[in-house]
Amino acid sequence: MNLLIRAAAIAALLHITPVVVLVKRPDAVQALLPGADAYVAREVHLSGTDAHRLHEAVDWSPEDGVLVFYGGTAGSASVGALEFVRVDTPHGPIEVAVGFTPQGAVRGVVVTKATVEMKPWVLEAVAAGLTDHYRGLKPGGAAPAGAAGIASRAGNLALYVAGEVDKGVARALAAYGAFYNHVRA
Amino acid sequence: MLYDLRRADVRIKWLVTGLLATLGLSYLFGAAMVALYAGFTPQSVAATYAGAEMSMPMPPETTVVVQRPMSMADFAGPEVHTVDTKLLIQDTHVHVPMYGLIAAALGVVVAGLSLPRGRALCLIALLFAAPWLDFAGMWLTKLASPRFAIVTLAGGWAMGVAYLIVAALAVHRMWLSHERG
Repeated sequence: MNLLIRAAAIAALLHITPVVVLVKRPDAVQALLPGADAYVAREVHLSGTDAHRLHEAVDWSPEDGVLVFYGGTAGSASVGALEFVRVDTPHGPIEVAVGFTPQGAVRGVVVTKATVEMKPWVLEAVAAGLTDHYRGLKPGGAAPAGAAGIASRAGNLALYVAGEVDKGVARALAAYGAFYNHVRA
Repeated sequence: MLYDLRRADVRIKWLVTGLLATLGLSYLFGAAMVALYAGFTPQSVAATYAGAEMSMPMPPETTVVVQRPMSMADFAGPEVHTVDTKLLIQDTHVHVPMYGLIAAALGVVVAGLSLPRGRALCLIALLFAAPWLDFAGMWLTKLASPRFAIVTLAGGWAMGVAYLIVAALAVHRMWLSHERG
């Protein structure tokens, strides 16, 4: 019976809680593509070779082998692009929106989804200034280091989730650098 | 019969009642969660588990770009909660042990109901078969055909029905029936 109760407790601890929306997608789009009045979705269906290349670079394959970038324009001027990247963790998935300026630097990062369990960790990490540490990063440049940036101001679980956000930003940078402007529509 | 819930000590009856009430509560919220994330129709379950993988199972020979205009309303549109293969592996890994433990706990209750052996065996088989059907349906929906979503629905309903049968019989046996003679 003792073994049964312990097993039940372990299973309950491992149970993944549902995903909740932290920031609605339209709000993330407005924050990351400010001033845009027209949008375009650019779906990049990766070949096996390109998918393998991306996987080698950041240990990740996009869902269904398709990268989706959203470009924004204000009039005829580009405002930039953004990606929604999912990161699967042992505690369930999180979704990170990464916005880029027309020059290809990270404009901002918004954590849009997390599980109920991880939500307080995400909020703590964001309150500690996590997303400030990604601004200005460029593909091929320095690796995202948000977790290290808030190490002195956040608890262990917030640092853990910050590491997962780092992964999401790294994936977005690799995908944007390799496939946003280098494949013809 | 060595173990009969009707003759059991009141502490055991109370424990079983507490277990059944707690599982009932978790099943109610489980149903609410299914309604929120997967739905109760074959179409919505198929959309959750089959996803786009069914429409494009093989990568193209060369990378292809498809561009389409978007409006802000498109970003705000209802998102279909999808479970891809990696997430389904994770879900199976964490859910199946818990379902097994729940089936085992309810099976122990069934053993104390003094049912005819055949009926007890059928009920225990149903308790374990329901989660198997549930996850078999999810995997078949993903890997074979969206039509198998009906198997997941059947598994989910079977779990609920099996729980209700066990709970009703147990409450009747423990608290409402009186020993004859």
